[in-house]
Amino acid sequence: MRGFVDNLGLAFNTLRGNPLRSLLTLLGIVIGAATVVAMMSLVEGFRISVNKDLEGLGAGSFQVQKWPATFGHVDRAKYAKRPDLTREQGDALRSLPHVGHVSIEAYHGGRPEKISTRDRATKPNVTVGGGVPDYQFANAITIAQGRFFTDTDIALGGRVAVVGADVADVLFPGESGVGKEIRIRSTPFTVVGVAERRGSTLGGSQDGWVIIPLDPYYQVLGRVTNHNIAIQATAPEYFNQAQDEVIARLRSIRGLRGLQENDFDIYSNETLTGTFNQFAGVVAAATFAVTLLALVVGGIGVMNIMLVSVAERTREIGVRMALGARRRRILSQFVIEAVTLSLLGGVLGVLLGGGGAILAREVWSIPASVPAWAVLLSLLSASGAGIVFGIYPAIRASRLDPVEAMRTE
Amino acid sequence: MTEAPLISVENLTRHYKVGEEEVRALDGVSFDVMRGEWVAVVGQSGSGKSTLMNLIGALDTPSGGSYRINGHDVEKLSDDQLADLRNNEIGFVFQTFQLLSRSTALANVELPLVYRGLPRKERKERAVKALEAVGLANRMHHKPNELSGGQRQRVAIARALVGNPSLLLADEPTGNLDSATGEEIIRLFGELHQRGHTILLVTHEPRLAARCPRAIRLSDGKVVADGPGADVASLGAPPVPSPHPGAAA
Ligand SMILES: Nc1ncnc2c1ncn2[C@@H]1O[C@H](COP(=O)(O)OP(=O)(O)OP(=O)(O)O)[C@@H](O)[C@H]1O
Ligand SMILES: [Mg+2]
Repeated sequence: MRGFVDNLGLAFNTLRGNPLRSLLTLLGIVIGAATVVAMMSLVEGFRISVNKDLEGLGAGSFQVQKWPATFGHVDRAKYAKRPDLTREQGDALRSLPHVGHVSIEAYHGGRPEKISTRDRATKPNVTVGGGVPDYQFANAITIAQGRFFTDTDIALGGRVAVVGADVADVLFPGESGVGKEIRIRSTPFTVVGVAERRGSTLGGSQDGWVIIPLDPYYQVLGRVTNHNIAIQATAPEYFNQAQDEVIARLRSIRGLRGLQENDFDIYSNETLTGTFNQFAGVVAAATFAVTLLALVVGGIGVMNIMLVSVAERTREIGVRMALGARRRRILSQFVIEAVTLSLLGGVLGVLLGGGGAILAREVWSIPASVPAWAVLLSLLSASGAGIVFGIYPAIRASRLDPVEAMRTE
Repeated sequence: MTEAPLISVENLTRHYKVGEEEVRALDGVSFDVMRGEWVAVVGQSGSGKSTLMNLIGALDTPSGGSYRINGHDVEKLSDDQLADLRNNEIGFVFQTFQLLSRSTALANVELPLVYRGLPRKERKERAVKALEAVGLANRMHHKPNELSGGQRQRVAIARALVGNPSLLLADEPTGNLDSATGEEIIRLFGELHQRGHTILLVTHEPRLAARCPRAIRLSDGKVVADGPGADVASLGAPPVPSPHPGAAA
């Protein structure tokens, strides 16, 4: 152990002797470590925000959509040809035995709106959706003040709205919004409920929304024919039955036969998580490949600097041997030196990659979270590269003949 | 019963192959050195002095013959055992000092103790003492390039002494020094001899060899003379040009 500490001191001496050369040859290791940490931070960040998004779906809920939920490239043309999911189709699902709540939801492609009161107005960044009372259950909305709108509100033709916490903050600072009037595209609505805050994911707030009943939504924001349908089973254990029933009913009312593919997508927490994991796997594989390449390049750099170091210090090695250093001791001195060097590259890479990820999060609101295991993995693989590529120069050093070595200049 | 010799060399040979030719750098050398002796090794350039010193210093392995140092049969030792022998039994002083240029005098002197595995504190204490013994207490934190030649050789001697070896080897320790400084170094060896160290010292200068109680002369890898320093030194000395009559100093 004492020998190890002494060798460590020697390693730092070498670095100090040639800081620029050392840094340049370490570039590969730095890049490798930075790639691992940066990419894994992104994947981890997305994973956390996807999980948080999924919490928005009520327990035992799933979604029916015309568009698939995937990450990456989507063949839009193929899905655009699918017939819309209509309100009537949604309503037809209510009678299914294991279906509890059916939330039929309309969005205008998510185009944000400006919401105002007589005195105040939000920025034009509020998502306005059309919905039914079941919206509350299928999307696990918790009401902080007032209530969600009901069938009675709708039957009375009421222009009522439930608003997210951010919208309430802007329009009704320091007071309750319940009973107040808001305007959407100059049409007045009465606020019946304010939702509890959900926080933010994917860099965006989850509280900047207003939900109004479907009919007023069509009237004010324009007719929408395609809907998202969120379904909650009567109990979580009936999740699969509910899903089977919904698929069968939709296939029959959308006129699909025998072997024809579903012309709608169903996804739940599990399928979303599965899709995400697939995506994360691809990213991890790509990262692994890049990192391996960078580590090999970096390792060759380390081998090079160590060979130069051994050549430059041949006389010193001879002297150390003459004074009683065993060959093994010389070997470990140079291996430790190589590992210290690569580890330094690893630390720089981790700082660079982690710093980049945090910068991306703070400046561009890209979700990123530096996972400890990625840091550990980077440092371990950097050290590994140090050992693998440092061993050959170290063996050369340890095999020197002391008399010959001391004769070199 | 007589005391066993510290060094016992028997019919030692060291051959180098250079191309097709075999160079017999040492060609059957035998002698003993008792504990406490101060022996000069002299001979012309290429006579095998350094080859002999490297073998006795366990830095090199012989082609034939045997030798014992302090009871160890050196030719039978493994690599690790040779390293330990160098570390524990031998202090080597080289013509070109062989100090580590990036380390201070103190760090250089500590080095043999590092490989002996001594704790930092003890290493330092002993290195300081060794530097004091060679009169360099006030230069401990200097690097070799901040020291004069004589001071560098003193550091090297302190390094050779720090491990308290049974044998001190010096291969032309004054070869890179001017004569006044060389004189100082030889005086230091004289003091070490007085204190009981066993010393084997290679020198080119008959003047220095003459001051040693005993000298061994090598020629073409063979011992050609072994006796009191004054006698052996004068043997091979180039004929002293006879001063002009009347011009005596
Ligand atoms: N590594 C080697 N390979 C081949 N021949 C060698 C080697 N080392 C020494 N020799 C030869 O061995 C002989 C003795 O060399 P050595 O260095 O022992 O002489 P020396 O007495 O120390 O000479 P000097 O006084 O010049 O230092 C020389 O002829 C030399 O050329
Ligand atoms: Mg020589």
